[in-house]
Amino acid sequence: MNKKGGILGILVISIIIVIVASMSSSNNETFDVDMTRTHGSISTALGSPILGDPLAPITIVEFGDYQCHQCYNWFHNTKPMIMRDYIETGKANLVFVDFAFLGKDSPKAAQATYCADDQNMYWEYHNSLYNSQESKIDSGWANSERLKAFAFNLNLDMELFNECLDSEKYSKRVQYNSQQARDNGVRGTPGFFIVGSDYDQQQIGGAQPFSVFQRILDSMI
Amino acid sequence: MIEIFKVIFSNFKFLALSVIIFSSMMVLLLLVSEFIFLEPYFVTHIPSGSELGFILIIILSALSALVIPMNLFRITNLKNSKQKMSGSIFGSIVGSAAGACSCGPIGFAVISTFGSVGATATAFLTNYEIPIRVVAIAILAITYFTTIKSLKTECKVHF
Repeated sequence: MNKKGGILGILVISIIIVIVASMSSSNNETFDVDMTRTHGSISTALGSPILGDPLAPITIVEFGDYQCHQCYNWFHNTKPMIMRDYIETGKANLVFVDFAFLGKDSPKAAQATYCADDQNMYWEYHNSLYNSQESKIDSGWANSERLKAFAFNLNLDMELFNECLDSEKYSKRVQYNSQQARDNGVRGTPGFFIVGSDYDQQQIGGAQPFSVFQRILDSMI
Repeated sequence: MIEIFKVIFSNFKFLALSVIIFSSMMVLLLLVSEFIFLEPYFVTHIPSGSELGFILIIILSALSALVIPMNLFRITNLKNSKQKMSGSIFGSIVGSAAGACSCGPIGFAVISTFGSVGATATAFLTNYEIPIRVVAIAILAITYFTTIKSLKTECKVHF
């Protein structure tokens, strides 16, 4: 009887340990996000925070990779005009969704943006990456050390940031976002969806000039 | 040299071939390198900082359009070796491949199909796009000058 009781006790303790362990590991994957957030056919729930007025009638969903030089081109040549004419005026807002496929440093860079988001510095970190991009893929400009250096330059809490980045806390979030890109037929970066208030959406592939965005956005307003 | 051009390109077949090679190669490379977009509207665009890439595409297309017909002329009319022809084709292909693999649909397709090997190849072709194009142009330029030299000698012998 005592032997049976001992085995039962060990079994109960084992079950409790397994439950506690699984709960603590699932805590690593818990995000403070609205899982129902969608724009057109795209689930942007695990994408970036919304840049601009969340109630703007049009949303620009950008799929991008931090190592993509065409994304760099778009960021520097087209985005400033979109910011000025549409986002800052409340006519549109923008959501960035990771499509990290180019190199081994791409997913890590995307994860780092969400570690910055934990400290409400997503867009500052995002901008910092595109301002610091070097022309060579996986050359080391976006390795863990450099990603931490970018965070340091933005005065982030380094203990929190390093813990987040080293534990790959947002690995699955980036994978989910990349899958969203594939599911929505994105075949390269940058890729855009312009989603209107009546859920009509228009796809734009590549780092196209401002005139193309202007034409589509004006037709939706 | 002008005499050689007159001999080759006075033949409509070689002139047409040259125009086709130049226009198709230029349009294809400009499309792949995202200087031209067809959807949702036709638009041309040279982002700042990409001017050198644009100029190299034009030079590459022009050299291919000169060298390939010249070598075909040597093969068909003068029945000479195909060695220089392979140099011109090689230069054109190398130069074209350089810009093809990037973050666009071709790069994505290569990475999706070949996994990490495709990613490594894509990264190499993207990282060294400009040097590879310069090397391709150098190959075509060398082929061009050696072809001109050969044609000068061979034309004297044959005509």
